[in-house]
Amino acid sequence: MLIGENLRKSYGNVEALRGVSLEVRPGEVVGLVGENGAGKSTLMRLLAGTQRPTGGRILRDGQPVTLASPRDANALGIAMVFQEQSLIPNLSVAENLFLGQDRGFVRSGLIDRRAMREAALRHLAKVGLDVNPGRRAGELSFAQRQMVELAKALALEDRVERDLVILLDEPTSVLEQAEIDLLFARVRALRSRASFIFVSHRLDEVLAISDRVYVMRDGAMVAEAQASEMTPTELHRMMVGRGVRTEYYLESRQAPPREEVALSVRGLGKRKAFQDVSFDLHQGEVLGLAGVIGSGREDLIRILFGFERPDAGRMDIGGRVYAPRSPAEAVARGLGFVPSERRTEGLVMTLPLGANITLARIRAAMAPWGLSRRRERALAREWIDRLAIRAPSPDTPCRHLSGGNQQKVVLAKWRTAGSRLLILDHPTRGIDVGAKEEVFRLVRDLSDEGVAILLVADTLEETIGLSHRMLVMRDGVVSAELPAPAGGKPDQVRVVEHMV
Amino acid sequence: MTAAAGESAAPPGRLARVPWRAMAPLLVLAGLCLVLGLVAPNFATTGNFGRIATSAAVPAVLTIGATLVILMGGIDLSIEGAMAVAAVAAALVVVAVPGPWGAVAGAAAALATGAALGATSGLLHVGLRAPSFMITLGMWFIGLGLAIWLVGGGTVSVRDSELRSLALVRIGGLPLSVWVALGAVLLAWVVQSRTRFGRALYAIGGGEDLAVQSGVPVGRVKIMAFALAGLCYGLGAVLAVAQLGQGNAEIGEGRLFAAVSAAVVGGTSLLGGHGGVLHSLVGVIIVVVLSNGMILLGVPPYLQQAVQGLLIIIAVAVSLDRRGQGLVK
Amino acid sequence: MIALPAPGPRLRAVLPLLVLLGLIVALAVAVPNLASPATLLLLLADTATLFVLAAGLSFVIVLGSIDLGVPATASLAGVVTALLLPGWGTWAFPAALGMGLLMGTVTGLVHVGLRVPSFIASLAAGGVTGGLTLWLSDAQAVTIGQQDRARLDWVAGETVGLPHIVGVAMAALLLGWGLQRLTPFGRFSLAIGASEAATTASGVRVGRHKVLAFALAGLFAALAGIMLAARLTSGSPTGASQLLLPAIAAVIVGGTAITGGTGGVVPTAVGALTVSVARLGMTFLGVDAFAQQILFGVILVSAVAITTDRASVVATK
Repeated sequence: MLIGENLRKSYGNVEALRGVSLEVRPGEVVGLVGENGAGKSTLMRLLAGTQRPTGGRILRDGQPVTLASPRDANALGIAMVFQEQSLIPNLSVAENLFLGQDRGFVRSGLIDRRAMREAALRHLAKVGLDVNPGRRAGELSFAQRQMVELAKALALEDRVERDLVILLDEPTSVLEQAEIDLLFARVRALRSRASFIFVSHRLDEVLAISDRVYVMRDGAMVAEAQASEMTPTELHRMMVGRGVRTEYYLESRQAPPREEVALSVRGLGKRKAFQDVSFDLHQGEVLGLAGVIGSGREDLIRILFGFERPDAGRMDIGGRVYAPRSPAEAVARGLGFVPSERRTEGLVMTLPLGANITLARIRAAMAPWGLSRRRERALAREWIDRLAIRAPSPDTPCRHLSGGNQQKVVLAKWRTAGSRLLILDHPTRGIDVGAKEEVFRLVRDLSDEGVAILLVADTLEETIGLSHRMLVMRDGVVSAELPAPAGGKPDQVRVVEHMV
Repeated sequence: MTAAAGESAAPPGRLARVPWRAMAPLLVLAGLCLVLGLVAPNFATTGNFGRIATSAAVPAVLTIGATLVILMGGIDLSIEGAMAVAAVAAALVVVAVPGPWGAVAGAAAALATGAALGATSGLLHVGLRAPSFMITLGMWFIGLGLAIWLVGGGTVSVRDSELRSLALVRIGGLPLSVWVALGAVLLAWVVQSRTRFGRALYAIGGGEDLAVQSGVPVGRVKIMAFALAGLCYGLGAVLAVAQLGQGNAEIGEGRLFAAVSAAVVGGTSLLGGHGGVLHSLVGVIIVVVLSNGMILLGVPPYLQQAVQGLLIIIAVAVSLDRRGQGLVK
Repeated sequence: MIALPAPGPRLRAVLPLLVLLGLIVALAVAVPNLASPATLLLLLADTATLFVLAAGLSFVIVLGSIDLGVPATASLAGVVTALLLPGWGTWAFPAALGMGLLMGTVTGLVHVGLRVPSFIASLAAGGVTGGLTLWLSDAQAVTIGQQDRARLDWVAGETVGLPHIVGVAMAALLLGWGLQRLTPFGRFSLAIGASEAATTASGVRVGRHKVLAFALAGLFAALAGIMLAARLTSGSPTGASQLLLPAIAAVIVGGTAITGGTGGVVPTAVGALTVSVARLGMTFLGVDAFAQQILFGVILVSAVAITTDRASVVATK
C-alpha cells in the first residue's frame, strides 16, 4: 500500500538516509525504532511530503509518486501526526480539523457552522474524543490535541478514495499512561480503515501495538521482524549494533577528573519539566545526561545557562550562589553553551569567523583605540590552525562553512571566552563522521585542561563513551547515577532500563 | 505560534470560567463611563452620547479596516494616505458630477480609490515578500502625495452636495453616518466570523506556516485583506468629507495612531490571531469616550496626545505580556 | 510571486554608491550650471540635517527595529533650544541634546522592558513627545530672537565659505562611524540584527544594547532638531515631521537592510546624499513637491525590495 524504495536523503554532505526501504500493508501497524540520528524522523518526513528524497522512490498502491508538499501526501491519503503540535491554537477544534478544506461547508457565501460542527463531531467520534468542536484548540490538553490531530488525519477518509496511511511520530512521549492506553485502543479500533507507522523510543510500547517492526541505525534499515518474535532487549541490540568502539571515543584519554567542584546543584526543579535534580560537577569531568524526549534533560541545561529561571532549588559556583537571570550572567560566571540549534543559536551566520569567535569575549578583539579587525582576523587564523577548521579565509561568513567546521568555530568562541564550564547540547548533530571524531578529541583536550563539561549527546553510545559519569533522567527525575570510567563503561541495555 | 507543550486545561472554578481577560476592554469602558459620569459635567446626557456616537463613526470604520490586517499579524500604516486620496477623489467627483448622482459617484470613487491603494499594498507585500509596515509606510506617503497633487494643496468644498446628507440627515437622533458605520461594522463582523476568508485571517495570524501547508490560499487572502481595508478607509473618507463639508489631503491627519490604538486597546492583538471587529469597536468607543471626557474636563490638546500615547503603550504591554517568549522586533 | 533578482553581496555593498555617482553625473549633464562647487556646498548643507536624523535612525534599523518617533524628538529639541537660548545661553544645546537622549532611552525601555514591538513603542513615545512639544511651545513656532542668533553660529555660520552645518554633520558622521566600527556596541548591534538568538546565547546583554541604540537615535535626532532650528531660526513643533520618510529612505537606499544586520552610518551618508541629489534633480526638472513625495514612496518600496535579504525572511508579516 505504501512502499519506500531505496530512499536516500542528504543535507549538504551529511547523509541522513542511505538507501532505506520499507513497506506498509493494509490494516497493519508498523513500528519504526532507532536511536536519535538514526534517520527515523527523516524517513517520516519523506513519506509525509515535508521533504523530498535525494534518491530512491515512493510507491503508493503500486504507483510511483512525488510528494512535493504535505498537501500532495494528503491527497494520496498519507497524513502525519507530528511530535510538535501542529494545530493553530487560536482557532476552534472544528476549524483546525478542516483547515484549508472548508470549501464544502459554504452555503451562499457563508460558512454553515452547524454542518461543520456536525462533521467535526463525526470525526472526533472516530477517535473517541468528547470535546466541544467550538472550543479553541489552545485550551485543550496535550493529549486531547493529539487526538484532534489524529482525527484530522482520519478526516482524509472523506476526501480520498484509498485506505489511509497515518504516521505517528513519538505520539506517547508526553502522555500519561491512561492516555497512552486510550491512544492504543483507538489505533487498534481504526485498523480497518487505516494503516499506521508508529515511531517511538519506547520499545515495549512499540512491540505492544505493532504487527511488524523496522529497526534503523545510522541512516540504514538494519532489521525487520514480526513484533511477536521480538523483545525490547533484542530490539535495542539491533539499534545499537556493534559493541562500543572504545577508541572511537578516545577512551584511553579519559583521565580522572579533579577534586574541585565546578558547579553544585541542589534540588533544582522546573514545573512541568523536571524536579529535585541534584549533582556536583567537577573540573575536568564530563558528566553525561542520558534520557529520551520528555526526560527533562534539555530543559535542565537551558536553565543552567540562564535561558529560564528554575522554580525551586539552588546552584553554586566556586562557593557563591549562581542564579543567572540571563545567558549573559551565565557567561559572566564562566559558563559556555554549545547549542543544538547551531544555525540559529550557535553562530551569527552572516558574520565571519573572527566576529563569531570574539562574540562571547569582545575584549579579545579590542586594541587601545577600539575594535581591531586585524586582531580579530589574527585570532581567527590562530583557531583555524589549532582546530583544523576548513575555511577559505578568516573573513568567510560562517554560513558557508560545513556543519563540522561551524561547530569548531563555536568551540573556538567558548575557548576564547575562557569558559571553565561548558554545556554541550547535541554537539555532533548534523556533522559528518570525520568532524565528529575531531569534536571528541576537543572534548578530551578540554577535560585535560580542567574544563568541566555537561553533555547531552545525540546517542546513548556517545554519552557512555565520552562521560566520566552519567545521570539518567526519566520523566523529569534522575532515575540513576552511573559511573562510566575508562575500561569499565556500563552496558547500554543497562542504561536504557533507567531511561524508559 | 506553537502551543506550550504539556499544558492541560485546568479544571475551571466558577469564577475562573468568566473570561476576564476577554472582557477587560468592556470593563474598562464601563469603568471609564462611570468615572466620567461622576466627574465630568454633561457627560451622561443623550446629547453627549449622540456626540460620542457621531465622533466615533469615522474612526470605527477606519479601525475595522486596520483590524482586518492586524488579525493576520500585519500592520497597515497607510490609513492616512489612503483616506486622503480617497477623500480628494470623492470631493472632486462630487463637484464634477451634477445633481444627486454626484454624491453616489463621489462615494463610489472614494471606495474604489481606497480599495485600489489597499490592493496595491497587498500585492507589493505578497509579491516582494517585504514586511507590511514598510510597504504600507511607503503607500502612506504615496497616497498623501497623490492627494496633494490632485488637489494642488488646497481643498474642495462639497457644501452643497447631497453627500452631506450623510452627516446632516438624522435617523433616531443620530446622523446617517453613524448608521452607515454600524452597518459596516456588522458586515465586517459577518465576514470575519462566517466566511472562509475571515477564518483564514485568524489562521494566518495564529499559524501562517501551518495554514500554508494545509492549503489555505494565504497570498490571495492577504491581498484581499489589504484591499478590503482600503475599502474601509475609502468609506471613512466619504463619511469624513460629509462631516466636514470638504475634501482635502489633511483629512486623515492623526488618524493612524487613533485607529491602531483603538484596535489594541479593544483587545485585537498586534501579533495576530486574536480579537476582531467587535473588539476593535469597543476600543474605538473607549478612545472616543476618553477624548470626549478630556474635552469636557478641559484637558489641553497636547496632553490628550500624550495620554493617547500612554494608553496605547499600556494596552500593548498588558496584552502582550502573556504571549510568551517570542522575539520582539 | 515576483522573482526579483537579489544582487550578490559585493554588488549590493557598492550599488548605492554607484547609484549616487550615476545620479550626480546624470544631473551634471542635464543641468550644466549645477556642476559647480557652490552647488555642491549647498547640496551638502541641505543634506546635513537629513543625514544626522537618518544616521541616528540607522542605529536602530541595524538592530532590525524601527524608530518612528525621531521626528518628534527632533521637533522637541528645536523647541527646547529656542525656548532656552534666551535664558540659558549655550547651555540650551546640551539641554536639548539631553532631552533627545532621554526620549530615546524611554522608547528603548518601553520596547525592551515591556516587550512592545518597536514601531508601536516608538509611535507611542513619539506621540507623548509630540504632546510635550505642543505644550512647551503652545502649539506654535518659537522664534529665536536676534540677540541669540549669534549663539547659533557654530551650526548656522560659515568659515572661509564652508558652512558649519556641514562640519557638524561630518562630526556626527565621525562619531557614528566610531561607535559602529570601534566599539563593542557597534559589533553587537550588527550581531543582534543578524541573529538575536545567537547573540543572546553568546552572553551579550542584548537588552542593554538595544536601549542604547534607541538612546543614540534620540540624541542624533535632537542634534538634527537643533540644526533645523538654527537654519529656520525658530523651533517648530512640527518642523521635522516632513523628514521621517526621507530619513528612512536615506537609510534603506544607502544599503542598510530593513531586516537589520548590515549597514550603518557610512552607507546612510551615501543614502542621504542620494536622496538629496534626487530631490535637487527633481526640483530642477520641474517635478513638483507633491509628486516628489509620491516618488519617494516608490523609491522606498523598491529599495526595501532590493535590500531585504529574502533568504532570512521566512514569514513576512
